[in-house]
Amino acid sequence: MAGGLDILHIEDDSRTASDLQQLVRATGDRITWEANGADGLRRAGIGDFDVIILDRMLPDIDGLTVVKRMRESGIGTPVLMLSALGRTVDRAEGLDAGADDYLAKPFEATELLARLRALHRRAAGHAHSAVIIHGAFECHVKARTAFRGSKHLALSPKEFELFRYLMENAGEVVTREMLLRDVWKMSFDPQTNVVDVNIGRLRRKLEDGFNSPALETIWGTGYRLLDGK
Amino acid sequence: MTQVRLLDSIFTRLVAWSIAVCIVVVLVLGALVGAKFEQLSTATQEAAVNADVTTLSEAYRDDGVTGLARRINERLAFSGPAGSAPHYLLVDNDGAIITGNLSGWPAGFEVGTEPESIALPNGTRVHARGLLLAEGRLFVGRESSLDQMILNEIGFAFVAGGLFVVFAVGVAGRLTTARLSRRVDRVIQAFQNPDEKRLEQLAKDRNAEDEIGELTRRTSETLNRLNHLVDSQRETTDLIAHEMRTPLMHLDSRILKSLKTAPDDATAQGLSEARSDIRGVITMLESLLDISHSEAHRGDPRGLHPVDLSDLLEHVAEIYEGSAEETGHHFEWDIAPGVTFLGEEMQLTRLVTNLLDNAFKYVPTGGTVILSLAEGPVITVSDTGPGIPPEDRDAIFDRFRRAKGNDGSSGGSGLGLALARAIARRHGLDIRLKPTMRGATFVVGGKKPEDVEPA
Repeated sequence: MAGGLDILHIEDDSRTASDLQQLVRATGDRITWEANGADGLRRAGIGDFDVIILDRMLPDIDGLTVVKRMRESGIGTPVLMLSALGRTVDRAEGLDAGADDYLAKPFEATELLARLRALHRRAAGHAHSAVIIHGAFECHVKARTAFRGSKHLALSPKEFELFRYLMENAGEVVTREMLLRDVWKMSFDPQTNVVDVNIGRLRRKLEDGFNSPALETIWGTGYRLLDGK
Repeated sequence: MTQVRLLDSIFTRLVAWSIAVCIVVVLVLGALVGAKFEQLSTATQEAAVNADVTTLSEAYRDDGVTGLARRINERLAFSGPAGSAPHYLLVDNDGAIITGNLSGWPAGFEVGTEPESIALPNGTRVHARGLLLAEGRLFVGRESSLDQMILNEIGFAFVAGGLFVVFAVGVAGRLTTARLSRRVDRVIQAFQNPDEKRLEQLAKDRNAEDEIGELTRRTSETLNRLNHLVDSQRETTDLIAHEMRTPLMHLDSRILKSLKTAPDDATAQGLSEARSDIRGVITMLESLLDISHSEAHRGDPRGLHPVDLSDLLEHVAEIYEGSAEETGHHFEWDIAPGVTFLGEEMQLTRLVTNLLDNAFKYVPTGGTVILSLAEGPVITVSDTGPGIPPEDRDAIFDRFRRAKGNDGSSGGSGLGLALARAIARRHGLDIRLKPTMRGATFVVGGKKPEDVEPA
C-alpha cells in the first residue's frame, strides 16, 4: 500500500476526528476532515479519496442520507459508516443505504485500519483474480484448491473460504469481527469460539510439515497471514 | 391479515335481514289486502243474489210462474259483463226445467235463506240461493270469477311490487353498507398496520358526525399517540446509545493512550481490564436497546421478509459444530427442510445463537445439545445439563437473571434469554421452557399451548 490511503472523514465530534488524525498519521495515511454532511458531500464530489469514513449522526444531514446522495450522484468511493448506533438493525440500515461497511463506536484502532484497507483492496479489484498468490501460498479460487509451495493443502469447504479470505487480505490484519461478518455472515459476536476453532484447524493444515509459522495472531484483534516462506 | 369473510360481515347480515323483513311485510300486507277484498267481494255478490231473489219473488207473486219465467228470460237476454254473468234455473216439482241457463239443478244444492258459494257442474264458482215455490224451485246465482280475476291481479301486483321493494332494499342496503364497511375497514387496516398511509386514509373520515366517525377519530388519536410513543422511544434509545457511546469511546482512547506509557505490567493489566469492562457495558447497552427495540415492534410486520429458516439454522449449526467438538460437547441437529417464515434474518439468527450459547454455557463437558426445527415453525434447543429448578422457570426470561455456568462463573450479561424472548415475541412467536425429566428444553413456536405436557 505505497503512499498510504487518502481518507475523507465526515464527523461532527472533533475529539473523534483528532484521535483519528493521530492514529492515521502514524500509519502514513492522509486524512481530510469535514465537520458536517453538506461539506462532506461537496468534498467527496471534488476530491479523489480511497475511502470515506462517515459518521451516522451528523448535525445537518444524517449519515444515511449522505451516503444515499453520494451513490445517487455517482460517487462510488467505498464508505465505512461509523456510528454510535451499533445494533443489528442499525447496521442493516447503514448497509442498505449504500455504505460498504459499518463500525460501531467505540472501536479498536486496529479494527478500523484493517477494515479501511480491506475496503480499499476490495474496491481496487485485487480480490477478484482467479489465482491469488501471497509468498509461498497459492489460492486457486475457481478450482477451489490451495497450495503452500508445492504442497497441496486439503481444506474443507469452510476452511477454504477462510483461507481465501485471508489470502485476499494477505499481509494485512483481519479482525475477528471481519471474519465473522464476511466468512460466517454474522453481524454480531456469538459466544461461541467459532473463529478460534476454525483458525486453529486451518493453522494446523497450513503449518503441517513446515517449520515456519503460517498465521500470526494479533492478540485481542485478529490474525494475519504470513508469507509462508 | 385477518379479513372479515363476506358471510360473517355485519353489513351483509344487515342487508340480508332487511330483505327478509321486507319479504315478510309484503307477504303479510298482500294476505291482508287479499282477505279484505275477498270478504267485500263475497258481501257484494251475496247482496246482488239477494236483490235478484227479491225482485224475482215479486215477479212471481204478481204474475205467477209464467211471469217469473218471462222475467228470467228477459234477464238472461241482457248479458252482463263477463265474469259476473247471472245463472238462473226454474224447475217444476218433478225437476223438469221450465226455463234457465243451467243444464240441471246442481247436485246437493238445497234451497235456503242465505246465499252460499258453490261450484256449478261446468266448474264455474257462483254465489247462489235456492227459493221454494208452490210450483217448483228457483235457482239464482252470480258468477264470482271477475272478482277472482281481480284478486289474482292484486296478488300479482303485490308479488311484483314486493320483488321491486326487495331489489330496492337490497341495492340501497348494499350501497350504504359498502360505504360503512369501507369506513370500518379503514379502521381495521389502520390497527393492523398503523403506518402513515393508513392513518392518512383514516383522516378522510374524521369529519363524519356519526358513530363510525367517532370511532375513527378515537382510533386515529390513539394510533397517532402510539406511533408517537414508538418514535420517541426509538429516539430516546438512539440518543442514549449515542450519548453514552461517544464518551465511552473517549474514555477508551484515553485508557489506550495511558496503556502505551504504562509504567509496569500490573498497571497495564488493570488498564486492559478497564477497556474490556467498557466493552462489557456497551454489549449490555446494545442488548437492552435490542430488547426494547424488539418489544416496541411487537406484532409490527414492517421490516419482516420471508426467511428460509432451514437454511438459517443449518448455517448456525455449522458454526457451532466445530466449537462444540473443541469444547467436548455432543452437538446434534435435526432440521426440517424448506421451512420459511416472515422475519428479520439477523434477529432470528441472534435468537437461535442466544439459546445455543445458553445451552453450551450450562451443559458440562460430555453433555449433549440438540437443535431442531419443525414446520410451524417450532425451534427447539434441548440439552442434558443440570436443567432449571421449577421455581426459576418463569424468571429466567427476565432481564439480568442468570445462574452459575458450568465453570462456576455467572458469565454473560443476563440478557441473552430476555433478548431471545423479545425477538420471539417481535415475530409473533413465544418462547417456553418445556417441562422435561432432565436438562432444559426451550421451545420457540406459536402461542398455542401444544407443548404443555404433564411433567
